[in-house]
Amino acid sequence: MLKRNLKYTLPILLPLIVLLLPADSFALDGLTLVEQRVIAIFVMATLCWVLEPIPIYATSVLIIVLELLLISDNGLWFATNSAPEQQGQLLSQTAIMATFASPIIMLFLGGFFLALAATKYRLDINLARVLLRPFGYNPKYVMLGIMLITAVFSMFMSNTATTAMMLSILTPVLALFAAEDLGKVAFALSVPVAANIGGIATPIGTPPNAVALKYLVNENSISFAEWMSIGVPFVVVMLFIAWLLLIKLFPTSTQQIDLNIEGIFLKTPKAWLVYGTFLLTILLWLMGNLHGMSSYVVAMLPVAIFSIFNIINKEDLKNIPWDVLWLVSGGIALGLALDKTGLAAHVVDAIPFNNFHPLLLIVGASMLCLLMANFMSNTATANLLLPLVATLGASMHSLLPYGGQVVLILSVTFSASLGMSLPVSTPPNALAYASGHIETKQMAKIGIIIGIIGISVAFAMLFIMNKAHFIG
Amino acid sequence: MEKINIICVDDERDVLESVSRDLDYFSDIFNIEECESAFECLALLEEFDAQQKYVALIISDHIMPEKSGVELLTEVAMDNRFLGTKKLLLTGLATQADTIDAINNAKIDNFLEKVWDPKQLLQMVKKLLTEYIIEKGIGYEEYIEKLDAPTLYRLLKS
Repeated sequence: MLKRNLKYTLPILLPLIVLLLPADSFALDGLTLVEQRVIAIFVMATLCWVLEPIPIYATSVLIIVLELLLISDNGLWFATNSAPEQQGQLLSQTAIMATFASPIIMLFLGGFFLALAATKYRLDINLARVLLRPFGYNPKYVMLGIMLITAVFSMFMSNTATTAMMLSILTPVLALFAAEDLGKVAFALSVPVAANIGGIATPIGTPPNAVALKYLVNENSISFAEWMSIGVPFVVVMLFIAWLLLIKLFPTSTQQIDLNIEGIFLKTPKAWLVYGTFLLTILLWLMGNLHGMSSYVVAMLPVAIFSIFNIINKEDLKNIPWDVLWLVSGGIALGLALDKTGLAAHVVDAIPFNNFHPLLLIVGASMLCLLMANFMSNTATANLLLPLVATLGASMHSLLPYGGQVVLILSVTFSASLGMSLPVSTPPNALAYASGHIETKQMAKIGIIIGIIGISVAFAMLFIMNKAHFIG
Repeated sequence: MEKINIICVDDERDVLESVSRDLDYFSDIFNIEECESAFECLALLEEFDAQQKYVALIISDHIMPEKSGVELLTEVAMDNRFLGTKKLLLTGLATQADTIDAINNAKIDNFLEKVWDPKQLLQMVKKLLTEYIIEKGIGYEEYIEKLDAPTLYRLLKS
């Protein structure tokens, strides 16, 4: 009972205490009122995202509204009329509200339109049918096929939708396995594992990537193709490792497996338009250097085309996961407040990070991120850690030989997606767990191993890329 | 987490208790209500509506004095306030005319014959609850352990 009440009282009480403390009790010289309020909002966001008294997207909206009330130039009267030197830098209301429509949100919206159209015109299921065929009937290779397809789909569709689709293909097959056969576990686990890993490959694969994009700007900016050239090799290596692990840890005694997926490609004009737009968008994303359009601009093309030709209609618009967009917006707004009020730099200056070895910092931040992502939403984890990590990366010159800010941000972002050891870690895990074929400890076993190997692979790869002067 | 309601209607006390017992599996997350007549059920529906509570499923017997199960479920089907509510008719003595009415007017989602197999009832209810939760846009995560996984996958895919 007490535990249940804490969940609601802590997120209210602690931020209030932070607000009411005298400014000199923070060990930060010259802390302004605005900065103090940002700390309170940050504390509230952390507690709300960890304890989840309200839905995680609601926390994001709350962040934005509190920022508007407390630290914007059009906020509450008592929040804006202190002496300037005491008050600090107020943010403009338009900047805060614009986080709902930042280019990154638009990039995701484009991705949602593509995914929605692909599902509606059965492109996903038909591609799965065709792509799975070459993998034959040997359970080992069928599983490899399932993992590859799941990963590829989760690069462009939500990990949850991909998992739901692949598990529904697998359900009739899993029912045929003998009760004692561990192969059932392997198959049921292969889907969420591949979906979680696959999301890393593209900027639109999973929301933490969007949050990371926000901090990869100016000389550190990364194009769609550049992201994929780092993400895809990582995903390929990790999928292969995950596949080996699954067949070793959960060997199957079934000799043959037959996935029977029904369907034919739709051949209506609208369906062709969907195929064409899909292909065109991805090509334009990959060839950013040739035409000069940013990936954000390209993302608006499918939105326009699908709306004009009524491929995505009024009803479909309701099915767009707006909560994900809000969730990311809140993170961007939190980062904006930390950055623009000068608080992040203030905090980073106050702690002698420069005395730490930069590698220790990269490893420490990534491990923390992995740990958090196992117990809470990956996006919320990224929302909390990335703004601080980004400021830290920008201020630490000792990090430069190791690839600087980019390497730090990418390794933390990848770590967020590698948190997959519990049913609550990610929605794909929850769905797979609901299939009833998996025990929590089996999921934990594979999840922890993949998390640790994943972080090591990420370090190794970013190290090589940095040495090859690809990044940094 | 909001408790979602399941209402069982039967004029025979022991049948009602046995349905409730079979549904005990859901009772830690869902609220199971027992009604001994169609009127009691309608009164309960009014009460739930006033409190804005979810009624996911009505399991009703057909042959009851005063108002039959099909009449009750028809009334619920016509009521805008309970648009998504799933309807299961539990009956042993339905005539063809009753069956036609049940499908055409009461728009029932499932038919189950008395004496039923508890496992079959459980599976049917799981499926109907999953459909209700997804169609209503309720967060499925909190109820996931009592839902029907294949139905969940099918509905989430689109």
